[in-house]
Amino acid sequence: MNQTNDKTAFLNAGKTLLRKEDRRLLTGHGRFTDDIHVVGELHACFVRSTYPHAKISALNTAEASAAPGVITIVTAEDLSEWTTTLRLAPPIEGLLPIEMTALPKDKVRFYGDLIACVIATDRYLAEDAAELVIVEYEPLEAVTGMFAAMEEDAPLVDEELGSNMISHQSFETKSIQKIMKAADRIVESTFATARQTHLPIETRGCIAEWDEGSQHLTMHIGNQAPHPFRSVLAGRLKLRESQVTIVVPDVGGGFGQKIALYREELIVAALARHLKRPVRWREDRMENMLASSHAREDFARTRAAVDSNGRIIGLMLELIEDFGAYCFYPANYLARVVAMILTGPYDIGEYAYDVKVVLTNKCGNGPMRAPMAITSWIMDGTIDNIARELELDPVQVRRLNMLADSAYPHTMATGETMEDINPGTALEKGLESIDYKNFRKRQLDDRTRGVYRGIGICSVVESTTYGSKFYKAAGIPGSGHECAWVKVDPSGEVRASAGVMSTGQGYETAFSQAVAEGLGVDPKDVAIKLGNTDVAPYGMGSRGARGATAGGGTVYLAAAAVREKALAIAAKLLGLNSADHLSIQEGRVCWFFDGKIQETELTLSDIARTAYLDPTSLPDGMEPGLEVTKAYDPPPMTYSNSCHFCEVVVEVNSGIVKIERYLVVENCGNVLSTQIVEGQQLGAISMGLSGSMFEHMIYDESGYNQTGLLSEYMMATASELPEIEIISVATPNRRTPIGLKGMAEGGVMGSIGAVSNAVSDALAPFSVVIDSHPISPLSLRQKLRKSH
Amino acid sequence: MKPSPFTYHDPHSLDEALALLNQYGEEARIIAGGQSLVAMMNLRLAQPDHLIDINNIPVLNGIECQDRLLQIGALTSHQDILQSELVRQSCPILTNAAAHIGHYAIRQRGTIGGSLSHADPAAEWPMIAILLDGEMEIAQLSGEKRTLGARDFIQSIYTTDLAPEEILTKISFPCLEENEGWAFKPFARRRGDYFIVAVAACLTLDQSGRIKRLRLCLGGMEATAIRLDEIEQGSIAHLPDENWIREVAKAACNEGNPVDDHNADVEYRRELVEILVTDALQDAFKGTQRG
Repeated sequence: MNQTNDKTAFLNAGKTLLRKEDRRLLTGHGRFTDDIHVVGELHACFVRSTYPHAKISALNTAEASAAPGVITIVTAEDLSEWTTTLRLAPPIEGLLPIEMTALPKDKVRFYGDLIACVIATDRYLAEDAAELVIVEYEPLEAVTGMFAAMEEDAPLVDEELGSNMISHQSFETKSIQKIMKAADRIVESTFATARQTHLPIETRGCIAEWDEGSQHLTMHIGNQAPHPFRSVLAGRLKLRESQVTIVVPDVGGGFGQKIALYREELIVAALARHLKRPVRWREDRMENMLASSHAREDFARTRAAVDSNGRIIGLMLELIEDFGAYCFYPANYLARVVAMILTGPYDIGEYAYDVKVVLTNKCGNGPMRAPMAITSWIMDGTIDNIARELELDPVQVRRLNMLADSAYPHTMATGETMEDINPGTALEKGLESIDYKNFRKRQLDDRTRGVYRGIGICSVVESTTYGSKFYKAAGIPGSGHECAWVKVDPSGEVRASAGVMSTGQGYETAFSQAVAEGLGVDPKDVAIKLGNTDVAPYGMGSRGARGATAGGGTVYLAAAAVREKALAIAAKLLGLNSADHLSIQEGRVCWFFDGKIQETELTLSDIARTAYLDPTSLPDGMEPGLEVTKAYDPPPMTYSNSCHFCEVVVEVNSGIVKIERYLVVENCGNVLSTQIVEGQQLGAISMGLSGSMFEHMIYDESGYNQTGLLSEYMMATASELPEIEIISVATPNRRTPIGLKGMAEGGVMGSIGAVSNAVSDALAPFSVVIDSHPISPLSLRQKLRKSH
Repeated sequence: MKPSPFTYHDPHSLDEALALLNQYGEEARIIAGGQSLVAMMNLRLAQPDHLIDINNIPVLNGIECQDRLLQIGALTSHQDILQSELVRQSCPILTNAAAHIGHYAIRQRGTIGGSLSHADPAAEWPMIAILLDGEMEIAQLSGEKRTLGARDFIQSIYTTDLAPEEILTKISFPCLEENEGWAFKPFARRRGDYFIVAVAACLTLDQSGRIKRLRLCLGGMEATAIRLDEIEQGSIAHLPDENWIREVAKAACNEGNPVDDHNADVEYRRELVEILVTDALQDAFKGTQRG
């Protein structure tokens, strides 16, 4: 990138603007899937398994089919005529290939699994009929825990695989075994995250419209990655991709749950085509919680070889993930990243990992905001354990092992290269801001009064904006590039689009700032058009904190290319030999002359009019029009960093944890929109705190979900969350447009680690160490009782 | 999450409502705020054929105080109770309890009569009614009324003495005495949730500063809230000192027959009772010292 990426050089990037989306969203004029109605639409409702694991021995839909309003009831056999089988078999060593039909044929694999689909004239009648479908089950033993799943005689979730261990990868540096054997001291630590779900406020849902005349399918759906979704949907319906249009309206949150083509949406689309009538489906809250997708439930064990000063000379990671019953993503996809980037800011040259992913009779997993969420807790939790065992100050152990900021770019033992980050600065800045120097004295004084105060520190190196090279190296098919167009109409109106899709983040605001920066117009004069696959260019969609760098970055590059063309035209119109001293500011061409910037009489509208309507006045050989489509492939990985500090007081009698202070020092590079970035930071930290302290998707031993309602599944609300202080120590990325970095997941990673480490620190006098989530009052009491 | 089919009735008088109830019996359910019933219907845990909406029967709504008896119409919303100056003056523990119910939207629709008829063992009103020995006024088709104390009215989890043809019309609470100390201490993971364990207490002292009357109630330890009669009796004429509080808390935590669930095991419920009773009695004692 031929630029300085000096923040002060930018006129529009980094400004705080009112969100463009908010006029419609805050006045109740948002347009979500449920606000769209299609004449003649039918409603879908799914018959779901009431057993965690069972053979379907008989299925009788006769009575249900005769119920009022029922159009049809379809089963696995019907769907197999209209849809293809999903085969997920990327060439990744240690990963078993899977196949999945639209509906399960012989057996159900989890409580809430699909059995049949009822189509009726309204949802009420569809649910009435669904109750009349008679399913005869032959119950099978369910496997509900990751360790049980790995036992030799465990019931198989997917008989085709011959094993529940769907993925197993390992890695080790040359000398790690020798080092571990020779080490004086090995510190062992374990970590377990609870099963969670994404819980978007708007559940999944869609409307499929089949146009029999033009043989075209239009799918209205809240989705994060409309083009890849279109490709998969067309393929599985045996349609050409040009026969499918995906239209994404306003979306009420995704968090990773709205990327893949799941079975329900496929079935709805297939039925719209088969019936030649529009069909809609809205997942209800219970379906969303029981059967959409889950996340987390990782177990990790580290073994750190340390010297007497606490210096880590070798580290081994064992990671097991409970992936549930179905894979809509390659099963290694999430856990692998944890293993790849674990060592993060620490200087650990000798490293080994062993990562297993197992299937169980639970709802399938999907990527959830920070699929690698557990990473920083594992690493900084290990550091804290080293400090405890060696009776050292945890900050001292961090400083001893942390790479100097000047050491970057640094390549980890796994081959991952981090650059343009400053974990040392972030740590020191935070320590100073929370007055760590005096904290330990405060802590001791409080303990004498029976007040148990603790501080948790968690350094995060966040992998964002995965580029194509990363995917290629990981063996995952797909690309990390993004595509965008910017068009200036003959009237001078500016429009832009990209393949990513917002689920509420505020892309319209941020991208208008990217266009403004690249082109030289006011952000308010830029219209952003996202989410319609016939309008937006084919892009890879929103996931992995790529919205700003891949999405906004590509939009910026396209805008800059438009500016270049506009200035070439301007030079010609102004009679200049070159555009070297010209720029566009707020839509007007300016001339840098005599040490000053001077406005010319020429505006972007004048240039656009010339480009479209007076092409003979253009420079020789120049195409008419003023629009550019641009693709951009970001670096293999763009790293951000942050350091989280959480101060808690634990009431040891009740087990209640009070967060007294939460502070984060962030380096997410230059940003497009300050308040949108802040919203993401607060949201991510809140999500991590809620996940580690409250949320738990509980299955009983037989495989029944105990937490399928919002009253049972504890998600923190604003009342339970602390004020969060944010300090920026941003440094730009040297290779990305504007120096952007991703940032939307690091807050989850850091808060999980910071709060866990803080509670362990507070309870050190009782030798209680947090090694599992959620950190509920009950779980703390159970641990404290044992310590007495 | 759509209810099964039902017929909706919109009576405009109590007699009309009672006639409908008499006609449809167990096939009918009364809907007031619907904050529990509608969720149960959407989950198809309740599938009434007839829904009798009592929202257009104004006589069921309202708060008045006569002869030191606070009378609240069954249709009165939690929010109206929370905002009532009359309630705050005569029985402030109700104001405090109302503030813990759900969230604003829930409090606007949910009613005290609905909550009591639903008899959720983790809800505020059944517990407060048992603490204060509230009286339930129940209307019958014959035009007769019967009244029943809270402890007889609330029989078990989601179970009351209400017959299918009857309507709970009014709840009366004796006003708190002057200088009566009180406390309501629910424990929930999140603001607005049903409590896991709760303790409520009212305390009056005689002129010598000894205990004249203690009312102490635990929620979350049984299928209904329980009054600790023995402890209440045994506390009379005691000095309300730290020692007494400690003893009561220790004794109270052995009461009830709680269950294990994923929110709390038996031991944790007992631990919470000890903490909350201590808290409640300290607050109640402070309350007695206000005058």
